[in-house]
Amino acid sequence: MAIFDEELNALKEKVLKLGYMVEAAIRDSVKSLIERDSELAKEVIKRDHLINALEVKIDEECIRLIALRQPMARDLRFITTAMKITTDLERMGDLAEDICERAIELNEEPLLRPFVNIPRMAEIAQEMVRDSIDAFVMGCSKLPYKVIKRDDEVDSLTVKNFKEMLEIMIQDPKIIPTAVKRTYIAKYLERIADHATNIAEMVIYMCKGKMIRHMEIPEGE
Amino acid sequence: MAIFDEELGALKERVLRLGSMVEAAIHDSVRCLVERNSDIAREVIEKEHQINILEVEIDEECIRLIALRQPKAGDLRFITTAMKITTDLERMGDLAVNIAERAIELNEEPQLKPYIDIPRMAEISEGMVRDSLNAFVEGCTKLPYEVIKRDDEVDNLNVQVFNELLFYMIQDPNTISRATRISYVSKYLERIADHATNIAEMVIYMCKGKIIRHMEFPPPIF
Repeated sequence: MAIFDEELNALKEKVLKLGYMVEAAIRDSVKSLIERDSELAKEVIKRDHLINALEVKIDEECIRLIALRQPMARDLRFITTAMKITTDLERMGDLAEDICERAIELNEEPLLRPFVNIPRMAEIAQEMVRDSIDAFVMGCSKLPYKVIKRDDEVDSLTVKNFKEMLEIMIQDPKIIPTAVKRTYIAKYLERIADHATNIAEMVIYMCKGKMIRHMEIPEGE
Repeated sequence: MAIFDEELGALKERVLRLGSMVEAAIHDSVRCLVERNSDIAREVIEKEHQINILEVEIDEECIRLIALRQPKAGDLRFITTAMKITTDLERMGDLAVNIAERAIELNEEPQLKPYIDIPRMAEISEGMVRDSLNAFVEGCTKLPYEVIKRDDEVDNLNVQVFNELLFYMIQDPNTISRATRISYVSKYLERIADHATNIAEMVIYMCKGKIIRHMEFPPPIF
């Protein structure tokens, strides 16, 4: 089983790497907005295919491991969870790309007011991504529960941001298109946090191991 | 292999049933908005846990099949794709609940404008969900490509709805909170169509069978 253990470790490392790439995409997308750096935004958009390629590679590796190693119980559950997690990570990458697209548009307009909520949201969302993936590779701890709790913070900031934007839209309807784009960016970050929450939920579900018990005594054909 | 074939058939039926439940949720969530009937919305919200339960049931069945039947090649790929598809379906169910929630809020205020584009978006999205799942169970056809094409229609309608609402907001700031909620409903429908597109893409990927070919002759191990 030594080869399989090595393969599982390599799989974990690939999932971690995908997580880092997604985190970096989120960080840089918001940085391109705050620093009004559209070149950086274009770079993030260009890099997205690397995230997609790694997602497919991980999925292929998972199917290969299931087919060739016929893993049971915990290992099988780990591998199928990895396949589900990659989908969430890839979609977060797409959302980082959406942030960049809005950033490029916003960078061409005058700055409405300094960004306060959005960098804070991005910071929390990045931590949630990191912790949810750590929870997945480290096995079963309290970490995924912590991730889920933090989602409320991001939700509150989304609402707070929306109310602030609404206020300035009512005062000056001319700025509506700009303000709306800013509410979109908050919404994208909220969805990134939702994806991290989904990963944390899947990790908890994996750890509960309800099905693993059923599978310990396989029925005869 | 007869038992396994039956089990695969049962799995397909369950995925189709989950799809029908999600389609119904989308349909009803938009109906409660158009007909201004919040009771329907509350029903959609209440019924959502059934979608979640069936999602978990399908996932459990997939893991059981992989563990006990040790499927190879096409069958393995079909089962792992089913596990990915259920996630998208369950999220569409969540989005239908979000539509229902916004509908309840909107139904408490005077109607801003007649709903024309939103029912159209719902109709296209429902068709996309249905077709993406048919593509999945029917095997490899042109259907998933059609689903992907229709996503552009929904995207365009979403932009159209948003621009129209922006006009209302600029004209009369009193409409902002209602217009924003309607724009959210439009956005939720756009995301539902995105999920259907994701399913169609997974079906195409499943059919291409790139990995399957590698697995037809597994190298000796252990």
